This record gives sequence, C-alpha cells and structure tokens, in this order.
Amino acid sequence: MLSIKNLTANVDGKEILNGIDLEVKAGEVHAIMGPNGSGKSTLAHILSGRNGYQVTGGEVRYKGQDLLALEIEERAQQGLFLAMQYPVELPGVNNMTFLREALNSIRRARGEEEIDTVSFMKQVRVKAKAVKLDEKLLMRAVNSGFSGGEKKRNEILQMAVLEPYLAILDETDSGLDIDALRTVADGVNLMRSPERSLIVVTHYQRLLDYIEPDYVHVLAGGRIIRSGGKELALELEARGYGWLLEEVAA
Amino acid sequence: MNRHLQEQIEAASGYIDDLPQESGEWLLGQRQAAVQRFADMGYPHAKMEAWKYTSIDNLLKRNFNTGHLPPEFPRHAVVRQFNQEPVAGRLVFVDGVYQSDLSSCEAKGISLGSIRTAMVSGDRAVLAAVGSLSGLGEHAFAALNLATLHDGGVIRVDEGVEVAQPIELLHVTTRGAEGSALRSRHLVLLGEDASANLIERYITLDSKVACFNNLVCEVSLAKGASLTHQRVQLESSQTYHLSELHLSLAKQANYHGIQASLGAAWSRTTIHNRFADSEASCELDGLYLAGDGQLTDIHLDVDHAVPHCDSRENFKGILHGAGKAVFDGLIQVQQHAQKSNAHLHNANLMLSRRAEIDTKPQLVILADDVQCSHGTTVGQLDPEALFYLRSRGLDESRARDLLCLGFASEVIERFTSESLRASLTEVIQHKIGL
Repeated sequence: MLSIKNLTANVDGKEILNGIDLEVKAGEVHAIMGPNGSGKSTLAHILSGRNGYQVTGGEVRYKGQDLLALEIEERAQQGLFLAMQYPVELPGVNNMTFLREALNSIRRARGEEEIDTVSFMKQVRVKAKAVKLDEKLLMRAVNSGFSGGEKKRNEILQMAVLEPYLAILDETDSGLDIDALRTVADGVNLMRSPERSLIVVTHYQRLLDYIEPDYVHVLAGGRIIRSGGKELALELEARGYGWLLEEVAA
Repeated sequence: MNRHLQEQIEAASGYIDDLPQESGEWLLGQRQAAVQRFADMGYPHAKMEAWKYTSIDNLLKRNFNTGHLPPEFPRHAVVRQFNQEPVAGRLVFVDGVYQSDLSSCEAKGISLGSIRTAMVSGDRAVLAAVGSLSGLGEHAFAALNLATLHDGGVIRVDEGVEVAQPIELLHVTTRGAEGSALRSRHLVLLGEDASANLIERYITLDSKVACFNNLVCEVSLAKGASLTHQRVQLESSQTYHLSELHLSLAKQANYHGIQASLGAAWSRTTIHNRFADSEASCELDGLYLAGDGQLTDIHLDVDHAVPHCDSRENFKGILHGAGKAVFDGLIQVQQHAQKSNAHLHNANLMLSRRAEIDTKPQLVILADDVQCSHGTTVGQLDPEALFYLRSRGLDESRARDLLCLGFASEVIERFTSESLRASLTEVIQHKIGL
C-alpha cells in the first residue's frame, strides 16, 4: 500500500524529517507516536501533499506510484485521506454539498458515475449517526462554529463517506473527551478492513486502547527510532519517551 | 460650459417641448426645474469625493441619446425571463417602455401601473410622489432622469394589505436600446401596515447591446409597513447602469433590501435612506461582482435623524480579473438619534492581483447612547481552505468555486426567491469560472 524509503524533508531550511522508512501493507494499522516536534505531523502533511515542505531525499510509493509526484486532489482521488488535527472552517459551504462534491470528484476521477442525491443523503445520514454527528450539522457550513469534538467527528464522517484505501489520522484524539474519543474510535474501527490501511498519528497511547494497532513506531528527531507491536505503546504510556531517547542516544 | 453638457441641455429641453399633449401638465414644472438643476451642476468629476474612483469619461464618450426607437422584440424571449415562482403581479418594461400585455395584477389591494399612465390620467397621488424623495437630483444624471423621464413602474399596496407572493418588476433591454439613454423612474408606495415583497430585475436580451440605464426608484413605507426588496442587475457587459434608490420609512416601518450587482460594464448604485420616524428598521444586503472591463460602485447614505431606529448594512464583493469596485458606505447618527443601532460591514474577496477595490465605510456618530459598528475586510481565498477541499478530492478550480460561492452565500441566502437564489448561484459560478 505505502512504502516510504529514507525520506528527508525541510521546513524553511530546517531539517524536520531525517530519513524515514516505513512499510504499510493493506489491512494494517500503524501507530506513529513520538514527542512534540518529532516530525509526526510533518510526515502526515507531506503524505497528503500540503505545501510548505521541501522533500530533500528519499521516495514514497503509494499503490505502486510515486506519491510525491501527485497533486493534492489526485492523492485523494486515488484513495488517500488525511483526517486533520485542525479541520478548517469553510464559511458558507454547506456540509452536505461539500461531501457530495468530494465523493463525486473521486468517483469521476475513477470513471464512475456520480451518485444520485437521494441515495447519497440517505447514506450520509446513516454514517453521521454512526459517529454521533448531529444531523443538523450536515446542513450547516463545514466546521463553521462546530465544537472541537464535532469537527473531529466530521472528519471521520468524511472518511466514512469517501472510503479511502489509506487513511492517516493526524492527532485525531487531541481535544477530545473520553466519550468523544470512544465514538471517534468506533467510527474508525467500523472502517477497518483487509483492503484498507490506517496510519494513526498520536502523542498519547489512550487512542490506541480503542484503535488497536498492528505496529507502533516511535518518531523522534525526524527518524523512526523504534518499531514494535502494540505493547510498545503501553510501555511508552508507563515510562514516557525519555528512556527511549536516552537508550537510542547511548 | 462644455459642448457635451450644452448638447444634453438642449436635448433635454427639446424632449420636454416635444412631449405629447397626453403627457399632461403635471410634471412639466419639475422637468424644467430639473434641466436647470442639471445645467447648474454640470457633470460630476474626479475632484468630488463621491466620484473620485468612478470615472464617467467613457459614459460621456458613448454619447447615449435621449430618444430611442419603440422596442421590437420576440415576446417569448421576455416571457422566458419571468420569475419562475408564482407572483402576485408583474410589471414589465422593455427598453424602458411599459408593456401592458405582458404585465398583470391578480391580487386584491395592490395596484400596479406605469408613471406614463398616471401622467395621462393626471393621477395626483402618483404624480405628487414623483421626486418627493429624490428632489431634483443630487447629481447631473439624477436631474436628467427627472427632466426626461420616460416611464416607470408604480406599485401601490393598500393599507393593511399583506401580499404573500412577490410582485415582479422586470426591466429588459433589447437591441432596440442600442445607443440610448433609458430614463426610468419607479415608485413604490406601501400604506399603513401593508407588507409586500418586490423582485426588481434588470436584464439584457442581447449581450452586445450598449445602452445607459439611468434609473431612480422611490420607496415610501407608511407607518408599520414592511417591504422585502430583491434587486438584481444582470445587464450586458456593454451597459452602463446607474441606479438611485431613495427610501423613506415612517414609524415602525421595516425595509429589507437584498441586491446583487453582477453585470454591466459600469454600474453605480446609490441607496439613500432617511428615517422619517422612530422604531423603523432598514436592512441592506448586497453582493457585487466585477471582472475584466467592469466597474461596480456602491454608495450608501443612511441617515439616522430620529431616535430608536435600527440599520444593518452588509455588502460583499468578489473581484476577479481586472475588475474594479468602489464601496462608499456612509451611516450618520444625528445628535438626537439616541438608541440607534447601526452596523455596517463590507467584505471583499480578491481573486486576482489586477483587481481593485476602493472601500470607505464611514460611521459618523453625533449621539452618545447608541450601538454602532463598522468593519471592512479585503482578502484572498484562504489557502488552508483550498488545501482542505483539494485534500478531499476536489480539483483546484472547483475548490475555488465552492469557496467563492460560500463567500457570496451569506448574501445570496437573503434572497427569499428560491429560483433567484439558484440562478444567481449559477451566474456567479459562470462569471468567476476559471
């Protein structure tokens, strides 16, 4: 699904990623953890195609193609999805319209027919219910005046509607209380399938209680310094990041 | 005195001299006084604050004629432009000429007609109202309008009558208007506690036609009356459009104006509101769009001369290509106008580096117990928002369209007519389409 080899990248001339290697196969869930400033979000942003980063070396292959050569929308059309840490408010853009435009853009790009409005709306309502997003918010402007939790649920709703092959959740747990966290995690778990891969970027272990990863990677100083199973996350939760950083430095 | 001005004075005087007998005597005195006013004032120029950014050079160069041919047009082409939802009544003007066979009025308690008919029949109530709010004209074009006004709509709603469906005032220009200055004047008179919804639209059937649409609209709301006024200007890219709207609101009257200025090469809209008595409210929402070769100019002059009145003004502009817009919003709160609420906002979305906006919101407050605010923004599309949309699969041009429509929607959604909202959305998309 995704293969990252020796990826290095700068922001404003400062090296943020310092040789990332990561293999994600179909159906796998990978957690990327790490202290603040370790480059976790930068990695997520680069994969989504966001501006402001200079890739200085290495390569990223997604479903056999050079991911970094694709436009932002082409990545989405080919099934890559980034659930954002800070979802953007779009004043005046109706949430339902936005979802339909997004889905139809993806369908058109794949040579599929556009979805008809009635069945689309039905489908969105069912999916909104699953992430406990108030139906009224579907008729409001995208994220405008939404609470932090509502924005995150709206991200997961988009993911459920767009049905990506590879979803990256960038600190989706930040700012969520425990109930909202559980709802969001339930929504994500509904999406798990042998054809779909997930990369869960998080600072804390608690999200991983609900979204159980197959692999856990620790990112520090722009590199993956340790990889392991889900028990690595528990160890980090108990002991913090300090010991690991010291061990690696030693 | 320059030659152009002299010619126009002669043309206007000639027009008055040649008015057919059946035009009646009623407006003759006012027409002549307006010619004199025009001669005294001369044309506005760039040294006048209100015209500083709005050049009339090209307008004068075009030398539009006062007289024009009677319109010839395919009837179905005009009918096709009718509002798609049912209306309580309709007034249709083609090239400024009233079309009685296309006009209709079904509802009780409202009367629709034309100024010309009122002139012929000597309808005192109507003729006395002509110019009662506008005076002889604040500038040359308004004075010329009164001097040589040809026709216009008269809309009266009787005391206590609430008209549920909208009334449509449709002004269509055709090839027959080529080279002409059309001078129309509309009157809207609502009796006490009457309420109505007016859709006023200006459209061109032939995209190549060049004319000058110089119009004045006077709206008087009696005590407790309420008017929703939806105005759309969607004229050809060769048209010059000048619109003066005068409002007078009696005690507890409510006026809500929603306008979209989307077409014409050069368009200027001025809205004057004087609160005649307390507890009245005036809301103005506007959207303007200007692209290559277009200038759109909005002037507001809202005068809180009496206490306990509310006004809200929200104008949004989208500038693309080499489009140019002027926004000059003046809200005054006089010394005795305590407990006034006035909120003025102007937001501009610049889609190109070549676009230009000259915006000047002004709040002049002489009273001390008031709630007033004003603000202006000039900005571009939010790159974060563009990224967000693209990351969901929308290509860049579609993402831009959605964001622009989102920006405009705050005003569009104020239009009460669903078909109007849909067609405006389509027009905007078409005009800014990348």
